[in-house]
Amino acid sequence: MTSAFGIGILIIYIAILIVIGAYGARVTLKTREDYFLAGRGLGSIAVFMALFASNITAFTIIGHAGLAYQVGYGAYGYVIGWSIFITPFTYYLVGYRSWLLGKRYGYATQPQVFGGIFNSRLVGLIFTILLLYYTLPYLVVSIIGGSLAFTTISEGAVPYWLASMLIIGISLIYTIPAGLRGTVWTDIFQGTIFLVVAVLLLFAVARSLGGFAEITGRIMVNNPAMLQRSLSPEIAPINWFSFTFVNSIAVIVFPQMYIRILAAKSSRNLKRVSLYYPLALAGIFGISTLLGVWGSVAVPGLVGKDADYIVPMLIQQYLSPVWTILGLVVILAIVKSSIDSQLLSVSHLVTVDLLPWFRRVNTGQAVMWGRMLLVIFAAVAYYIALVRPAAILNIAAFAFSGFSVMLPVMIGALYWPRATKHAAIAALIIPAIMLHFWYLGLLPASTTFGFMPVFPAFILTILILVIGSYLTPAPSPEQKEKTFGLFKQVFK
Amino acid sequence: MKFKVRLVLVSLIVIIMFLLHNSFWLWELDDKVPFLFGFMPFAFSYYVGYAILAVLAMKLIISLAWPDPTEEVVESFTDGKRTEQ
Repeated sequence: MTSAFGIGILIIYIAILIVIGAYGARVTLKTREDYFLAGRGLGSIAVFMALFASNITAFTIIGHAGLAYQVGYGAYGYVIGWSIFITPFTYYLVGYRSWLLGKRYGYATQPQVFGGIFNSRLVGLIFTILLLYYTLPYLVVSIIGGSLAFTTISEGAVPYWLASMLIIGISLIYTIPAGLRGTVWTDIFQGTIFLVVAVLLLFAVARSLGGFAEITGRIMVNNPAMLQRSLSPEIAPINWFSFTFVNSIAVIVFPQMYIRILAAKSSRNLKRVSLYYPLALAGIFGISTLLGVWGSVAVPGLVGKDADYIVPMLIQQYLSPVWTILGLVVILAIVKSSIDSQLLSVSHLVTVDLLPWFRRVNTGQAVMWGRMLLVIFAAVAYYIALVRPAAILNIAAFAFSGFSVMLPVMIGALYWPRATKHAAIAALIIPAIMLHFWYLGLLPASTTFGFMPVFPAFILTILILVIGSYLTPAPSPEQKEKTFGLFKQVFK
Repeated sequence: MKFKVRLVLVSLIVIIMFLLHNSFWLWELDDKVPFLFGFMPFAFSYYVGYAILAVLAMKLIISLAWPDPTEEVVESFTDGKRTEQ
């Protein structure tokens, strides 16, 4: 681990990030549009890597591989199956129409798009609060997961507090000077690293375990239950069905994903992204699934949360120390590419959607505020990651569900001219409260009819939006024309 | 074809993909279908096929209901210049 070669790889990796950040800072103008949206000029590969790298978190190689270790090959379809199609589809369903509005009216965030559609600052404010409320705990959990993985794979040589500091600190090096451009360029670099190394890792592990067919044969003999989904209660059909409403449809609601779609240069870029996405998502989660399942026979006996670290354990027990370094680089790349985008998006939201409630912020000041807020949020996230308060972790546990239940309001706003701001406000607030009641155990579990709470909350959102819209005054023709007039020009 | 009809077709594609994902009746095949390439059991290889199908589905959706903005629309884009004050 402490070999000169390994340290050399790490230094080169960090140096490349610093160079990218420095160059990004040179070409980034000190305007709100350029700093937070890269001048809305991202090409296909940039948008794709920006979305993909932000979407892949420590969960992919830690939590997901751990689940595959416990439930078998079924973990693949359970966690990512529906996402393979629906995530790129939401880039069309929600992303493209939002992108059109952003290009026409200069909207840069969800609060601006949906506040604009409903002509309501309150709708924008509720979006801002909910997005911050769910993103911040999710950010902290990403840091915790990444830091624990970093510590595990380094066999304790890098303590948890230092791992967190490294992950956050390196992210800030290029995000503060270069804004979205810095995070996107590093995403291209880091995304390529983790895709390439993940494929190499799969082949290296397979080789050391005797080959693909050999390890599969051992699973059939020692743990045949891994092959059959019907034998795993964790992925029983009712959970499987409910889960389609959790992570898959939440992705487009994440502010860091939504904002990057608005930064695309053209419609063609978004189309290409939606074609690349299914294979990339299936590929990276496929590798993680195979490693997790193989781990169940290669490193048997792990229980509960211990199983989450099966990939680092496989690297340590079956591969040479060079792989430990590559593993550390992959962990850093995966964790940082999602953390930097989350940090930037929360500072973006506060700068352009919250600050203007209190003071006038011009475009140059916005960049300055954005940079200051990046540092503040990073410091707060670091502190929380060290303390790990239960309240924050509890919110993070249902943050995905919280994002998901906001989606019907976004779809309604973009497709249904009759949707009203009053109904949208109620449909954002009431299901969010209900989710808290269910997840915090304030309502009996029987009230979800056996489903995960996200499913009834999702249905509730739709009902409130539809019924509420018919019970409240319709939007004015001018208001409807502003949004749907544009759509009529495009969708003929 | 009217755009609303195209949207209906897109909805049909989404429903088919949803049903193919929640295809619990196929779970019985998990230990019966031969492994793909000798190491991918059905529960895994099914989603390799599903990913390829998802690309084709997105290609169809793009050709059906994802028009590029016209020149006129593109000229109306402010690209945020209106907010840069």
